[in-house]
Amino acid sequence: MKRKTRIGLLILVTALFAAVPLILDSENSYYVYFLFMAFTYIALSQSWNLVAGYTGQISLGLHAFFGLGAYVIAIGWGKEIIGFLDPLGMVLSGLIPAILAVAIGIPLLSKLRGDYFALGTLGLGEILRLIFIQGGALTGGSAGLMLPSSSYTSMLPYYFIALFLAVFATAVTYLMVKSSLGWALISVRDDETAAAANGVNVLKYKVLAFTVGAFMAGLCGSLQAYYLFHVHPQNFFGLNWTLYPILMCVMGGVGSTIGPVIGAVFLSAVFELAKILLPEIHPIFSGVLIVLTIIFLPDGLVRLRWFRNIFEGRKTESPINLKLFTGKEK
Amino acid sequence: MMEKKICIWSGVFFLIMVLSLAGFSTVSAKEKNEILIGTHLSLSGGLAMAASEQAWAYEQATASINKKGGIFVKELGKKLPVKLIVVDDESDPGKAAAAVEKLIKLQKVDLILSGHSTPLTIPSMVTSEKYKKYYHGTTCLIPVWAGQKFKWSTMFFIDMPTFPDAAYNVIKSLPEKVTRPAMLMEDTMDGRGLGGVLRGGAEAFGYKLAVDEPWAVGAKDYSSQILKLKANRVDALLVFGSPEDTVTFIRQMKESDFSVKYLHGYKGTWTAEFKDAMGKEAQYVMCDGFWSETYPYPGAKELGAQYTKEFKKQSVSIGAFYATAQILYQAIERAGSLDSAKVRDAVIGGEFKGTVMGDVKYGPDGSAGFQVGTFQWWDGKQQQVYPFLDGSWQTKVMPPWNKR
Repeated sequence: MKRKTRIGLLILVTALFAAVPLILDSENSYYVYFLFMAFTYIALSQSWNLVAGYTGQISLGLHAFFGLGAYVIAIGWGKEIIGFLDPLGMVLSGLIPAILAVAIGIPLLSKLRGDYFALGTLGLGEILRLIFIQGGALTGGSAGLMLPSSSYTSMLPYYFIALFLAVFATAVTYLMVKSSLGWALISVRDDETAAAANGVNVLKYKVLAFTVGAFMAGLCGSLQAYYLFHVHPQNFFGLNWTLYPILMCVMGGVGSTIGPVIGAVFLSAVFELAKILLPEIHPIFSGVLIVLTIIFLPDGLVRLRWFRNIFEGRKTESPINLKLFTGKEK
Repeated sequence: MMEKKICIWSGVFFLIMVLSLAGFSTVSAKEKNEILIGTHLSLSGGLAMAASEQAWAYEQATASINKKGGIFVKELGKKLPVKLIVVDDESDPGKAAAAVEKLIKLQKVDLILSGHSTPLTIPSMVTSEKYKKYYHGTTCLIPVWAGQKFKWSTMFFIDMPTFPDAAYNVIKSLPEKVTRPAMLMEDTMDGRGLGGVLRGGAEAFGYKLAVDEPWAVGAKDYSSQILKLKANRVDALLVFGSPEDTVTFIRQMKESDFSVKYLHGYKGTWTAEFKDAMGKEAQYVMCDGFWSETYPYPGAKELGAQYTKEFKKQSVSIGAFYATAQILYQAIERAGSLDSAKVRDAVIGGEFKGTVMGDVKYGPDGSAGFQVGTFQWWDGKQQQVYPFLDGSWQTKVMPPWNKR
């Protein structure tokens, strides 16, 4: 498929999703809520995809930036610095995690690689969770912060912001990857030594991808905070906010712009359906599905021939080492 | 070939999903022939053990009302059976909110029955507020709930002003004098809330807490706390924590040969699983409980007997959950409607007689409190100690570990 056709198709799909609330009653339809969550997961998955899929740095700290973004909103709103669904507040909730990503990323990415970097980022999430639990009145401690739920008037703004975040994250990833910056990121992923030998500032590009990923994760956290009206350390710094996006990327196809989109929608649907049809054993069903995916589809749905023909036009395989998930070197 | 099959199965899956969601979405279009009560319970995750008793109690209360032909809804001019719809909240606050979203939008429930614990009920009630759907709450600390000024929920849970009585009155009744009580409270919303009340209660009862510390959820090593308790010659201990943490803590107490005369566990010691995990060491340990089958209320004895027959164990919680459902069903009949505002208004300020928790009266703020109970593990059973009733168990002082 040609590049223009692909972009046209994505615009068409976005327009269709934008029209969904015109067809369905956004206040009463579960589809609208389902899509809202799926869009959030698309943005989060793209955030992880940029860092791991295109730069080769497997991060397990997405939830740290997600939770931090949520707390920026909760604290800012409590102090009356930020308002309800405040665009500037949301940008701030992306910027602060991004600044943290630079501060943490430089020592982590310069010293740690592979599994060690993954464990380092995992520790970041746990450290932040404990800091916010011990944060006293500012963070609400283990009880978290409550926001005024009376601000809620309609599902529509949430839906469109989530759609915007999904499109924004996908577009940012696509534009970065298709620019010279993308070549630098991919060269770092494929062979750091060769990239450095060719003049690529490896640390700079790793930190850049990590920072952009943190910015997007922070934005997603802020939207969830606005939606739930209760920012709680166990929830917002929960590992699920990292593990689900990783699973979605792996399911859809790591290191592909469309992979996280397909993975997020597909897995969100699987989890929802399992909960509806198999309420008592849905974790078993979802777990088995994940295991089967890793065994039979380690390169993701997007690298099946049918998807390849539409989106990639050539045979590819997952570019990153999935040793963390499969135990096997590629 | 393999790829083709995967594509076909993926397509089939999406078709099933769309049809399933569409099927659920059309529920409300049919004529009303049943009352849909939704609840989000922790069928999986850390609270699954406690929530299983809640689920059973709700099911029993629903079966009982359906046996009588259901609830008469005046507005509809007929009796309708109740259908209880349970959605798993996975013991996760975010998922609890999502579960309520699902109950309201997908299952189209008429009203919502409470989930379990403050961290899970608060975000769920926030979701209820958004959609103006009545949430009939329990297991959320009343002061925390009241602080939110919710308009679409009510709360039936422990009466906080009398909460410390259940520990300190029992301590006072011991045949041996206790002088240096201490408190370890889980660093969570519930732990902090109850810790504050117990702290205030200690002073009111003339005690000064020798040690008063929060403890982190999931900590595996309690040696520093035990050393501090030993150094301060603590002789009675109040502990609020999860069953897993409490079991680990008590085992480490024994390994460190640290004994107290009175060990009162909150949340962590009341399930039968605690007794199974601790074996003989469960003997003498105190636990909290919402209810006892020995309470002199209609149906309490039968409910307890039914639970024991089915599960071969006792429960000190099912009565509170059963009564929560009983109150909701009475309120629907009283309101004569399934409208959230009307049912809520029937609960606020209302008095509900003859529940397995006795007569329950809601205040004008929508809260109703009950006295928490105290029990002692003895020969594998929770013996009812407090409130002091005729026939209540006389608490036995915990002997040192090496003299058992």
